[in-house]
Amino acid sequence: MDEGGVAPINFMWHLVWDYKAELFKGLLTAVGVSICALIISLAVGMLFALARMSRYKIVSGFATAYVNIFRGIPALVSVIWVYFGWSLLFGHNFTVFQAGVIALTLLYSSFFCEIFRSALQAIPKGQREAGMALGMTRGKIFKSILAPQSIKIAIPNIGSMYIGMIKDTSTFAIIGMVEVVRVTQNLNSTYFQPFVLYTAAAGLYVAIAFLIDFIFRNVELNMAYPPRGRISKFLNRKKKASVEKIISST
Amino acid sequence: MTQSQVLMELTGVRKTFGKVEVLHHIDLKINKGSHAVIFGPSGSGKSTLLRCMNLLEEPDEGSIKFMQDEFGPGDKTNKQVNRKKPIELRRKVGMVFQQFNLFPHLSALDNLALPYRSVRGGSVKDAQERAAHELKKVGLLKLAANYPSELSGGQQQRVAIARALSLDPELMLFDEPTSALDPELVGEVLGVMRDLAESGMTMVVVTHEMNFAREIGDLNVFMEDGNVVATGGADFFESCTNERAKQFIGSVL
Repeated sequence: MDEGGVAPINFMWHLVWDYKAELFKGLLTAVGVSICALIISLAVGMLFALARMSRYKIVSGFATAYVNIFRGIPALVSVIWVYFGWSLLFGHNFTVFQAGVIALTLLYSSFFCEIFRSALQAIPKGQREAGMALGMTRGKIFKSILAPQSIKIAIPNIGSMYIGMIKDTSTFAIIGMVEVVRVTQNLNSTYFQPFVLYTAAAGLYVAIAFLIDFIFRNVELNMAYPPRGRISKFLNRKKKASVEKIISST
Repeated sequence: MTQSQVLMELTGVRKTFGKVEVLHHIDLKINKGSHAVIFGPSGSGKSTLLRCMNLLEEPDEGSIKFMQDEFGPGDKTNKQVNRKKPIELRRKVGMVFQQFNLFPHLSALDNLALPYRSVRGGSVKDAQERAAHELKKVGLLKLAANYPSELSGGQQQRVAIARALSLDPELMLFDEPTSALDPELVGEVLGVMRDLAESGMTMVVVTHEMNFAREIGDLNVFMEDGNVVATGGADFFESCTNERAKQFIGSVL
């Protein structure tokens, strides 16, 4: 009975090309969900960072507890809570997209809290004192002096986190979001080509990681002191011209 | 002899850090237009005293009277006195730091324009024009578009002085403004400070540059261990009778 041989393997690589539109759409969904979540969780993360550094124990305690809880929860669990749990408890249904954004925001705002906290603490205290000595209000000092400098420090970490966010969208297949992995699963159930299809999925994640790295490196250049790179030169050209005009007319 | 107008008066200022009292009951009067120099060995409380003058350090006890306004904790039983918030004092008092503390993410021009606009309001263009005007006075207009990292230490400190001056302070505080500079860059900063002193600005300077202190100081304050040990006028360096002050002056001059 035992033939002892191995069945000939037939890799159907053409599937990747045939279903490129579906895979690409899945990727766009993943990017869309994660960008929305990135924007919200950056804002929430900054608020939590400030809360964590608050003089009031109750505020900093709350933020610390939040960070330690949500940093430890896997994305899969988070999205199941938000999508199914919320519906069971409150009878209100989020769309798949909303559930994905909320789940990612809950998790990643805790990471961004820590990233911003360490970035804010890395700014020399003389910066704040200079703002105070000039008679600036606390709000203005934060907005114009501390926040921009902390974001610059945090940028490389935010880039890495964002790549992680995109990867975490792969777990949202479980609530039926048609992202990369869900598309892959669907195709696999038809063709049974797991190696080919999941390799293609991996390739897409890697490709997007390269793109994100490229974008964040340019953001970093633009935020350097002074800004560097062609893109920042282009973006700052009007500002530069007006400054030059003021200098020459003084 | 006309009575000089007192601009700032410190009464009974005490400051502790944790359990250590670093300023013990300091009384000091700064007249309008005078140039006070505070000197003394390190750890004597010079910088802390200076930082109490714009409430970057809040004294634990004592009062700071600036023009008509009262600041600091003062006499807590006297509710008659309307004590003002630190920000109101800071808006009338400029400060220059040892480490310059320019904003690294802004050009020299915006280092002046941003605080100016945030305190005074108005348009970005007006603030930048004002900034350019102030930078011209310290001879740095040509470098206005540069970032602090593109400037030498001396240039950075001149920008910092211009930044403080752009807000029209009544009093300028200098916290060891040349201590972080390479020796060959000290001169340009002292030059700007000398011009400022000649223009009649009231100044309080904490410094180790004793020759400069001797040149501009018309109120010399020697501090040691959190006390003002000796004070004197322009002839302090020659006529001082306090042994400890004489010894210190002898060792640094």
